[in-house]
Amino acid sequence: MVAILIDGIVQGLQLSLMAVGITLIYGLGGVLNLAHGQFAVVGGIAAALCLEAGANPLVACAIGILGAGVFGLLVDRTLLLPAYRSAGEDRLLLGLLITLGLSFVVNGYLDYRYANISLTIKLATPSFEVAGITVRSASAVAACIAMVAFALLFAFLKATLLGKVIRSIIQNEVGAGLCGINPGRIRTLIVTLSAMMAGLGGVVQGLFSSLGTEMGNELTSFALIVAVVGGVRSINGTLAAGVLLGIVNAFASYYVGAYLTLIILLATAAFTILLRPAGLFASRT
Amino acid sequence: MKANRYLAEHATLLVVAVVLALVPLGLGGSAHYLRIATLMLIYMGYAVAFNIIFGHTRQLFLCVGALAGSAAYVSVVLVIKMSWSPWATIPLGILTAAILGGVFSYVSVRRGLGVIFVGIVTLVFSMIFHNLVLGLRDLTNGETGIDTKGLGPGVLEPGLGSYYVILGVLMVCLVIYHLLMRSRAGTAFRAIADDEFAAELAGIDVTMYKVLAASAGSALIGAIGAIYAYYGGFINPTVYALVSVDIVVLVTLLLGGMGTLLGPVLGGVLFTVLDEVVRPLGQLNVLVYGVLMIVLVVTFRHGLIAVLRKLTRIRIP
Repeated sequence: MVAILIDGIVQGLQLSLMAVGITLIYGLGGVLNLAHGQFAVVGGIAAALCLEAGANPLVACAIGILGAGVFGLLVDRTLLLPAYRSAGEDRLLLGLLITLGLSFVVNGYLDYRYANISLTIKLATPSFEVAGITVRSASAVAACIAMVAFALLFAFLKATLLGKVIRSIIQNEVGAGLCGINPGRIRTLIVTLSAMMAGLGGVVQGLFSSLGTEMGNELTSFALIVAVVGGVRSINGTLAAGVLLGIVNAFASYYVGAYLTLIILLATAAFTILLRPAGLFASRT
Repeated sequence: MKANRYLAEHATLLVVAVVLALVPLGLGGSAHYLRIATLMLIYMGYAVAFNIIFGHTRQLFLCVGALAGSAAYVSVVLVIKMSWSPWATIPLGILTAAILGGVFSYVSVRRGLGVIFVGIVTLVFSMIFHNLVLGLRDLTNGETGIDTKGLGPGVLEPGLGSYYVILGVLMVCLVIYHLLMRSRAGTAFRAIADDEFAAELAGIDVTMYKVLAASAGSALIGAIGAIYAYYGGFINPTVYALVSVDIVVLVTLLLGGMGTLLGPVLGGVLFTVLDEVVRPLGQLNVLVYGVLMIVLVVTFRHGLIAVLRKLTRIRIP
């Protein structure tokens, strides 16, 4: 029981790592990124290639995360420009279709070029015991990484001036612009940051089990579910939803099987949109 | 003026029917190319239906494959498990798709969901459908799929007969589209596409017309999906997956031109030719679809019809 609970929490944290990027990019750029899982896969495969070339695992992971960041930067500065140029409903639609197209480009290329490569990181000690419960060290490390990443993100958003700027844009882009903030530059920063967090999510996936080229869509859909349930504009909500759905996922997979679990999660997302569009944990709808 | 415009559309329908009817003669009896041509008709049909939903009333349904699949599975499973006649179950499948589409539309209009949330809800439905089919192994055989067979001599069995049967279905779709657009509903659709708010203020029942567009489109999608199930000889979740249907339909419609009569047909021809060109690339074709989609969305949003209209200065329907 406890083991399942821990598994669920860790998995939830990993999902939140991915979902928070979708939340940030949507809140700030008005683009629903349907290629977010692909960012994670790009990072993970970059790390796997470095590992294969004989690099130190830590260095390889760092390169993977940076690689995802660079990829995000490129996408923001090239592909998403036409979306940013339009406003309102047009931008949403354009962003959605462009990132959907991008996800196919990345899937197609990676499946073709690196079909046999997957990222698996093995730790020196596979498991240890705490108070009579066997804990996989991979889970512990993954949880620590995710929590540190979230702590840093929250500190950045709450305590620094740049963080305040970012929150102001999420609240009101026009108002922020009137205060002399350049949303374009902040947007690039956020897309890069989100892509790096997705890359981190990919590396954590490699730590947890393994990350292959075909997993992009799966990661995107999980992250999307979490982001939707948490509210696509709320970062705290995303974190809470991630942990909650992670736990639900772990218990449901154990008791009712994988397909039904996924259907439960998807139905949760659908009903959230229909009943509380601002997210399950939003203070007001 | 008015009679003249309908004349142009009738002429277009006739030309489309005649040209597509002549296609098999140009293929020289090759079974392989005949199959590709038939598939082209199927995708044209999906695109005509999707055009009503997305092109005219701006409801981004990312579940064309799932709607087609629902109709197909309802029909095929009833035939296999209850040994009913396909002639009875195909309409049931169509009804299922129409109700599903209508419900999605009604709920999203009522909840005031923006285009992006309609996209997410229907995308989620696509994934639910996929997992449901995989999970209900007893009924659907999971990933392995179900073998199907045609509906008697010449009807939906591989061969020239089926090409004309499916061409007939496509022409029915086009005629329904044409009738819908020249009716009161067509005027309402145009008003909604231009400005939903203004349409509502002008006294148009936006909810009703959006639901009408969604359920009519979904019914056509269901019809084609169910018919394809018998023609293809085999159904599994991949046949109706997002990658196999939705992307192709989106690209086809964007290529040809949204909100036009001829757009889905021209787009279908172009897409089929392109698909043949990239076939030697094997798995890379997914990449090509993706690139095509991005390029089309960014630079070519009004499609081929708009370009042709500008070049020839003729009002192409």
